[in-house]
Amino acid sequence: MSPFEKKLNCKDVAPLLVFYVCEEVGESERELIATHLANCHACSEQLAEEKEFHSALSCAPQSSDQFDASGILLSQFRSELAEALDDLSAPPLQEHWRPFGWLHRWMALRPVWSGALLVLVGVLAGTQLVPWLRQNSSNTGQAMNVRAPQPLTQDQLSNMVVSGVNISPSPGSDSPTIQLQVSAEQPMVLTGNVDDSRMRQVLTYMVQNSERFDAGMRLDCLDALKAAVRDQQVRGALLNAARKDQNPAVRMKALEALRDAAGDDDVRQALLDTLEHDTNPGVRVEAVNLLVGSLDGEALGASTAPEAPEAPEAPVVASTAAPRAPGDEFEHVVKVLQELQRRDPSRYVRLRSAAALRQIGPREVQ
Amino acid sequence: MQLPRWALALADENGCSGSTNAALATMTSLPNLDERALVAEAQAGNRAAFEELVRRFDRDVLRLALNLMKRPEDARDVYQEAFLKVYRNLHRFRFECSFYTWLYRIVTNVCLDHLRRRQARPEDQAPELNAGHHEEGITDFFERQREHRPTLDPERSMMGLEIKARIARAMERLSPRERVVFEMKHYQGLKLRAIGDALGTTEETVKNSLFRATRKLRNELGGLR
Repeated sequence: MSPFEKKLNCKDVAPLLVFYVCEEVGESERELIATHLANCHACSEQLAEEKEFHSALSCAPQSSDQFDASGILLSQFRSELAEALDDLSAPPLQEHWRPFGWLHRWMALRPVWSGALLVLVGVLAGTQLVPWLRQNSSNTGQAMNVRAPQPLTQDQLSNMVVSGVNISPSPGSDSPTIQLQVSAEQPMVLTGNVDDSRMRQVLTYMVQNSERFDAGMRLDCLDALKAAVRDQQVRGALLNAARKDQNPAVRMKALEALRDAAGDDDVRQALLDTLEHDTNPGVRVEAVNLLVGSLDGEALGASTAPEAPEAPEAPVVASTAAPRAPGDEFEHVVKVLQELQRRDPSRYVRLRSAAALRQIGPREVQ
Repeated sequence: MQLPRWALALADENGCSGSTNAALATMTSLPNLDERALVAEAQAGNRAAFEELVRRFDRDVLRLALNLMKRPEDARDVYQEAFLKVYRNLHRFRFECSFYTWLYRIVTNVCLDHLRRRQARPEDQAPELNAGHHEEGITDFFERQREHRPTLDPERSMMGLEIKARIARAMERLSPRERVVFEMKHYQGLKLRAIGDALGTTEETVKNSLFRATRKLRNELGGLR
């Protein structure tokens, strides 16, 4: 016996018997165990029990035998695995990036919601998008908003067609907001007030070209231009309209627009011209009112009572007002009024002229 | 059956198209390929080669799965999950061990996962398999797959089922790893080194697991006969 063999006792052998039975011990170890078993009855009995247990376990029917002795289960599993592999091997469906692919998938899975969504989108597009496009498109022949960019050329003005003038008071400003729907080279809507040079340009052009624009539009233009009477271009247009416009209502409106500048020489001269040459008595009366107002500073009071030839006694007020016109010009006004009082075909004009002479009379006395 | 004109145009002078010829050659030669060549073919994307690999090893895989899981439904899950993992990860196999070992590593890991999940859910334990009520809870399909050989001795069959049920109950006492080691050693006949490779552990660890498993089973079962 070798010294190593002497060390192997029952306590060492017992745990090795499990591996000895299933042949999982090394060659040298096996020999040592075998030698010990040959001399040890207890360990041999334990080995016999181990073998019996091992044999019993090995002989016991196994689940694999019970469930698949015929191999049908295996065939079934192979078939299922092949199907799973087919799914794995199949080329991915439309893996390329597609815009709105998520929307396609969402709609495919929810047809009812998709239909409702499409109807909603259609309604929104019809009610909101189409009008917006009409308003903003420059190629559809529809009007566009232009806020006073470049002045219009003479060609544009001469070809211009105005389809509407809207004047609305603008909060916080003396000048009303004006909206002109104009068709020149392209349809446009001019929006602004009389302070805009382009707006003034168009309005004065309309006033000066009475043959191209109807009286109603010219009246609207004069109404708008009234706030810019100090502008030279506007003043010229108003004076021209007061003298030459074919429509008396327009001439009267032009005179009214000139009220704030009635004391100026050019306006006064226009008023005198109107008194001498205008064929319409109403216009002449308006001119008388403005003249009197410009002379005594009571233009407003005079203009509001044109139908009262027996004018209220204003000399007291007039006497305090300083004469604005030079003496010869004042004389010319009186002379014109006296002429009207004597020769005007309209009785109403004659009466109004008499009242005006009485009104300015006290100053003449002074 | 007459071939369409386009097929005839593609056919070579022998009357067979080239691709068909190659496919036939591949099909006939696959079973003759050794394991390494077959794996290489499968890694190259040859689906037929992979299926041949499955056919070579899946019987042992199913046997292990059935013995460990005790339920055909669970065994099916293990079978499919394991081979799909192999299919997806085949390109990572570098021939550093045998394919069989690599396959068993995957299968045992899947089994361990299932056993651990089952252990965490007591309501999901495997049914007791004894002669009295072993048929409960088994689906019709799997019921049809049972062995009903009339030549077997009924008395012996009953005794075998009784022993099997006792063993199944005793196996439930083992940890998942101990069960896998015991199963692979006793019923698959694998060497401890191979089991260690499959489980990704040392032979010594496997030895300890086998020893503990055997002791537990002996205590539970006592004398089986």
